[in-house]
Amino acid sequence: MFPDLPLSFPMGGMDIAFYVVALVILLTAVCCVAVKNILQSAVFLIFSFVTTAILYMLMHAEFIALAQVMVYVGGVVIFVVFTILLTSHLGEDAFSTKMPRIFTAFVLSIAFVFVMVKCVLPTPDLASGIVNSPADYSSLQNFALRLLGNDPNGFIIPHLRYHNRPPHQGRCRRGGF
Amino acid sequence: MFVPSVTHPIGDFIRDLVPRVAEYLPASIQSDTLNSVIAFLINAVICIIAVCIVNIGSAPILIYMERKVCAHVQCRLGPMRLGWHGTLQTIADVIKMLFKEVYAPSGADKLMFYLAPLIVLIAPFIVCALIPFDKNLVVADVSMGIPLIIAVNGFGVLGILLGGWSSNNKYSLLGALRSGAQMISYEISFAMILLFVVMISGSTNLMSITMGQEGTIFDWWIFKIPVLGFIAFILFFISSTAEMNRAPFDIAEAEQELTGGYHTEYNGTPFAMFYLAEYIALITNSALATTCFLGGFFPPCIGIAAVDNVLNMVPGVVWFFAKIYFMVWCYMMVRWTFVRPRVDQLMDFEWKFLLPVNLVLLVAGAAFIAIGG
Repeated sequence: MFPDLPLSFPMGGMDIAFYVVALVILLTAVCCVAVKNILQSAVFLIFSFVTTAILYMLMHAEFIALAQVMVYVGGVVIFVVFTILLTSHLGEDAFSTKMPRIFTAFVLSIAFVFVMVKCVLPTPDLASGIVNSPADYSSLQNFALRLLGNDPNGFIIPHLRYHNRPPHQGRCRRGGF
Repeated sequence: MFVPSVTHPIGDFIRDLVPRVAEYLPASIQSDTLNSVIAFLINAVICIIAVCIVNIGSAPILIYMERKVCAHVQCRLGPMRLGWHGTLQTIADVIKMLFKEVYAPSGADKLMFYLAPLIVLIAPFIVCALIPFDKNLVVADVSMGIPLIIAVNGFGVLGILLGGWSSNNKYSLLGALRSGAQMISYEISFAMILLFVVMISGSTNLMSITMGQEGTIFDWWIFKIPVLGFIAFILFFISSTAEMNRAPFDIAEAEQELTGGYHTEYNGTPFAMFYLAEYIALITNSALATTCFLGGFFPPCIGIAAVDNVLNMVPGVVWFFAKIYFMVWCYMMVRWTFVRPRVDQLMDFEWKFLLPVNLVLLVAGAAFIAIGG
């Protein structure tokens, strides 16, 4: 369909899900900064985090997805509490910014998007879904064994450098846990 | 082609059925991909309908039950006129509620005002999808059930806070902030009790937590760990009562002080959704207590073969719902017999008593597993 783009584009269910989720992330992120009320902004931030968690789930990283929801939704809820507590006349005076500032922000973000696309596109075999890892690769059990296990593979955090494998393999693990 | 599958006998039945029906279609549009996608969609719709029936169908029953239990505790009769013993009363109430006009108070943040009831409903529906009602009756048999439950519980607080704030009413705001503080605090002990269950059962999957309790009544987690199980059950009961904002921990609503708290300004369908969320939370928390402590869908066998055979003839769903309604009855009796603590007493109780006890319980459970199990 797009022969020039280096995207492997099989248009399976996974791809459709990825693009829908990515679109929702973008929309909620834009709403988060565009909305004038700080509380609405926080709510859109939460939706953005939740959809990011769904993206992690599409990549079979369930624990990271749940940690994302747990940490960020809980954290933003507390942020909402303090927003309500610490701001007086919330929602009555919507702040406004001047035109030059909006223009600068617009130019900066366009430049950032340009750099990102320029950096990402040359990646070989760019795919939207991760399908290579085995089914139980990132399960909670493997995760826990890796973090707290008693064998040379365990205790990934404090003993990172003292595994009995060559040092150049020690740190770099492709594909997460 | 990525097609997720629903793995229970109903799913298999649909997957068998769809290709046979598809043979009657014109040959040009027949394909295996189409069949599997359609089978998946039908299964998904069945799952959604099942969750909705369990949730929305149980709400009127619970409202009726609450009215009757409350009335009998207070030596009254409760609703008696509409239908047999007032059974049609709740249906009439639901219809009345749905046909009311929906409007927001002036000065309310309209978007947040109508979004809040929807957010409140997220958590109970997701949790309900994870509960194993029988050996094959579970919508989402995910490996990380308990972390998912802990994660989605945060949405309840968010919905209540938004509802209270966006109503533009000081009583709503006070109620919402109180309930936010309360639910954030009690979430910790709620999560810790669930972690205790995970620790003793060795799994975060609700189905395998249930399967670990197979056998007699003494194999249920409440009795299997000698004293700790019972303490954990009591703590779970307390913290889930607070998590649901039910009396005696209903300072969020506190009818006498706050005229209803966060849903003061709501009416019609949005109010019905808050109400529904409260009762679905009652069902899901009872189901969680049943799954984690009371043996899930297993019958209360006592080790005598003759009795156990009779008990085993009853299907697991029946046992599960019997246990759920027993738990609901317990929650209701607590609601109508205890007095409401003050806000500061509530916070003291969580941070100075419940949380330390939970921590000690976790350590004691770990010691029990390390030494005895």
